[in-house]
Amino acid sequence: MNRLIQRTFPRGGDSAVPDHKAATEGKPIRSLPVPSIVVIPMLQHIGAPCEPVVGVGDKVKVGQPLGKTQAFVCAPVHSSVSGEVIAVEDRPLVTGKRALSVVIRNDGQDDMVRFEEGDLEDMSPDAIRQKVKAAGIVGMGGAGFPAHIKLNPPKPVHTILINGAECEPYLTCDHRLMVEKAPQLVGGMLAIMKATGASRGIIGIEENKPDAIKQMQEATKGQEQLSVAVLKVKYPQGAEKQLIKAILDKEVASGCLPADVGCVVSNVHTAIAIYEAVVQGKPCYERVVTVSGGSVVDPRNVLVRIGTPIQALLDFCGGLLGEPAALIGGGPMTGPPVLDVYGPVVKTLSGISALSYEEAGFDVNRPCIRCSRCVRACPAGLTPNLLGDYSNRGMTEQVIWLRAQDCIECGLCSYVCPSKRALVTWIKKGKADCAALRAKERELGVSICK
Amino acid sequence: MQVRTGPFLRDTVTIEQVMGDVLIALIPTVVAGVLLYGRHALMVVVLSTLSAVLTEAILTRAPLTPKGIVGDGSAAVTGLLLGLILPHTTPYWVPIFGSFFAIALVKLAFGGLGHNIFNPALAARGMLLLAFTSEMIYRTDAVTGATPLWSTGSFSWPLFWGNVGGVIGETSVVAILLGAAYLFYKRHINWRIPVSCLGSAFILALVWGLDPWHTIMAGGLMFAAFFMATDMVTSPVTPVGELVFGAGCGVLTLMIRQYTPFPEGVTFAILIMNALTPAIDSLTIPHVFGVGASHKDRIRGFALTVGIVMVLLGALAVIENNEPRVRPLISDGHYLPMHELLGDPDVDVVEVNETRYYVVRDEEGDPRRVAFIAERNGFNGPIRFLLLLNSEHRIERVSVLKQGESPGFGELITRTAFLEQFVGLDKDSSFTAGKDIQVISGATVSSRAVISGVERALERFDEAFFGVDGPGTLNDGTFLGQAASFGGPLEVEVVVSGGKITSVTILRHSDTPGFSDRAISGMPERIVAANSAQVDVVSGATLTSEAIMSAVQAALESTSVGQGHELELDPEALETLLPAIIEAQGPVEAVSGAAVTSGAVHGAFRDALNIKEGQ
Repeated sequence: MNRLIQRTFPRGGDSAVPDHKAATEGKPIRSLPVPSIVVIPMLQHIGAPCEPVVGVGDKVKVGQPLGKTQAFVCAPVHSSVSGEVIAVEDRPLVTGKRALSVVIRNDGQDDMVRFEEGDLEDMSPDAIRQKVKAAGIVGMGGAGFPAHIKLNPPKPVHTILINGAECEPYLTCDHRLMVEKAPQLVGGMLAIMKATGASRGIIGIEENKPDAIKQMQEATKGQEQLSVAVLKVKYPQGAEKQLIKAILDKEVASGCLPADVGCVVSNVHTAIAIYEAVVQGKPCYERVVTVSGGSVVDPRNVLVRIGTPIQALLDFCGGLLGEPAALIGGGPMTGPPVLDVYGPVVKTLSGISALSYEEAGFDVNRPCIRCSRCVRACPAGLTPNLLGDYSNRGMTEQVIWLRAQDCIECGLCSYVCPSKRALVTWIKKGKADCAALRAKERELGVSICK
Repeated sequence: MQVRTGPFLRDTVTIEQVMGDVLIALIPTVVAGVLLYGRHALMVVVLSTLSAVLTEAILTRAPLTPKGIVGDGSAAVTGLLLGLILPHTTPYWVPIFGSFFAIALVKLAFGGLGHNIFNPALAARGMLLLAFTSEMIYRTDAVTGATPLWSTGSFSWPLFWGNVGGVIGETSVVAILLGAAYLFYKRHINWRIPVSCLGSAFILALVWGLDPWHTIMAGGLMFAAFFMATDMVTSPVTPVGELVFGAGCGVLTLMIRQYTPFPEGVTFAILIMNALTPAIDSLTIPHVFGVGASHKDRIRGFALTVGIVMVLLGALAVIENNEPRVRPLISDGHYLPMHELLGDPDVDVVEVNETRYYVVRDEEGDPRRVAFIAERNGFNGPIRFLLLLNSEHRIERVSVLKQGESPGFGELITRTAFLEQFVGLDKDSSFTAGKDIQVISGATVSSRAVISGVERALERFDEAFFGVDGPGTLNDGTFLGQAASFGGPLEVEVVVSGGKITSVTILRHSDTPGFSDRAISGMPERIVAANSAQVDVVSGATLTSEAIMSAVQAALESTSVGQGHELELDPEALETLLPAIIEAQGPVEAVSGAAVTSGAVHGAFRDALNIKEGQ
């Protein structure tokens, strides 16, 4: 009977994506031994790449800046090991792209640079931003937007929201951090509030993480300005605008920022990193990565240094059971495929999913039967079946008309499609076409398409 | 490992599952149809399904394995749906041909699954309705005839359980709802299209003063709202579009039922909306997150639009003042509450000459009010109608109970304006078509059949109750009669011996060869066999048949007038007739308005010539 009710009214509505979190949500975070060689890309964020400030043969310590730039949208990168720089060259990333990277051989000493500790009480908002910038904090949920810019919103902000939804299947790193580092998270929230001038902070957690909810409720006890919002399980919910809708019931207009409704949204891991940067002076040289999926022998949450090859992570988790159906850098809904298992862990990598053939599903691209499941599912209120078709055919004008730029690329349309069409893949291509068209318009100074 | 693009998780639902669930949802309807109509109905459904599946397998060159032949199951759905919207009496080739048409021309020709513009099953039914009307006749009958007599405008349980009508899948509302509930449970359909379709029809029926429950439950509307309009491929994908689509289907169905000769509008209503689907989709692109009006505003806007459309339609109905078509009283074989009709519980049933008369008698035992059912061959099989006579034995009401005339043409005889012409007439009235009773243009043959049928029914009633001259009173002799026919005058010779008609010979006619042949050869036998001028017409040659009957009647009347009396000849007619005969050295055309005189003169000539030859 219970199953019947659950099937009839699945949690999260029509298009509930199973969360697959059971394998790792109860496992404490373990530290990966520091690898012998790390590859640290100069571009781990949205914006301009850093320029290396070290050369081959230089000795570096943990936390020492490796790259800096004067560009506005940028975050410096730091060494994650102590040792010798053995190369500064283009190296492949997990996604198959290549990026200028600093390669360091670990000397095993793990010497740290001295961190400048601070007291949140005494710091001005500007000082907080400076410390965050110096620590190279970026959005660690996957977006990679430099945090110090986010902490300087263009409009007055009254509320900060922490995204503890972690709606992406398989990933549990934020969940574990909320359980294990609740005080640090609260500190991070206070730091963000102080930097942005917000008067309240809310952390939104989906109801499938009761232990995290309990921890956070205890940690925020006695602090009037902080609260915990328990959210229904729903995919996608962690995207900024969807989270604001879920917690505050406000819609951020198309093309606008959360600041337009007086909000700043931050990821759990980012908030903790901000706390560590501001209070302990620790730069961003390590992060927690979830390694999960049916092909992984021993799925775990692992604290890992930036620049560690993915292969070392997989080996730490017992390796893979045969050939996985898909190896993904991140969660299976939004993550890109891993093209190089020797590619490095970067600041934005929240997980590695190695799916078995039983779990994974792929594009088949059978004809659209216009069942409208994608239309009902789309959290951005788009019509993915039409949008996908137009994008696939390069009909950019129609793609713009159907507001492709509002797509959040959550992949739910592809997920629900009974014909297994590659809708989100096509729409991503359509968005790229739109951007190219706009660039062309700017270049020529004309309006090709309204 | 193959590198692919995400997302790497997919819902387990597939096209095959969707189609399989639709098939499962149709099981109750099939069961109900077979229970109601028996094995023939089952055969129709099975044949249409098999034919659809095989057509698709052959045309797409699918591998000839069970899995390959079934394919994605969409052909089976189309075939089954088509079978369920065919009349249960249809010949076996209809489902086979219909399924072939649906799959080959409506679906595959447009690019196969997902690419067809029109719902294949409905397009096939539309084609069959237009091209093979007579094979789809029960369809007409089922819908117009499904009205329970004197329906009181309330919920009708028989309609709900399903014991009326003639289309296999459309009769049992409970079976349809069961299947729809399954589809809702499986989330393959949502509430928008069925609710807006049935809701708009219900509201429009209320506005127009029709019976709303009957409107949505009789005929195909209920089945179509859940299984046809919700067809994924041919309906809009946007939520607002679904509401607009459903409302359009409901409104168009009622408009077609009301303003066109087609009895059932839902087929064409949905096909029209199918064609509009891309336009609806592009006009109702949903509100993107963070753009445009709030939820409340959109609901208000939609309600306002629907309201305005409804008011406009209502106004149209009032301005147009279109006379609503008379619904037949009962369906074939169903209970006819004669007591209610005659307004008296004390009804005698008298059976004379195979006609059953329902009679309410006065104190002296004479018939006061009489109702009876008569039949006459029309263009397309028998037309059955009910006659209600008042105390003066004048017609109080004529209703057509059953007819199979062509939709849009002959079928117009069911209109009130036509049938009201008979009110107040009695057996002595003149029933000349086109003069006393206006025939319906485009429905001449059917109108004439009703006119002569009513005339003859009145005569038979008179014979049965007041014993006018029976057949035995005919005088012996050879008589001539003449009547105007299709191609000109028609002349007969009738020989009466022993008080009975022994032979009828057509002497002259100028009707179209081929069409009239059957009447010329068949009618004399029928008249001799019946010993009466009033017999059934030969179908396909109605006009000639009727002319022969009138001519024989004229011949018989000429004797009753002529016997023992001086025949009053028309002197003016004689003046023109005699020289003409001499000039032609044979029979000539009758002088108009003086058929008896002409006939008598011709007879006299012939007799004289016969005597001469005999000598």
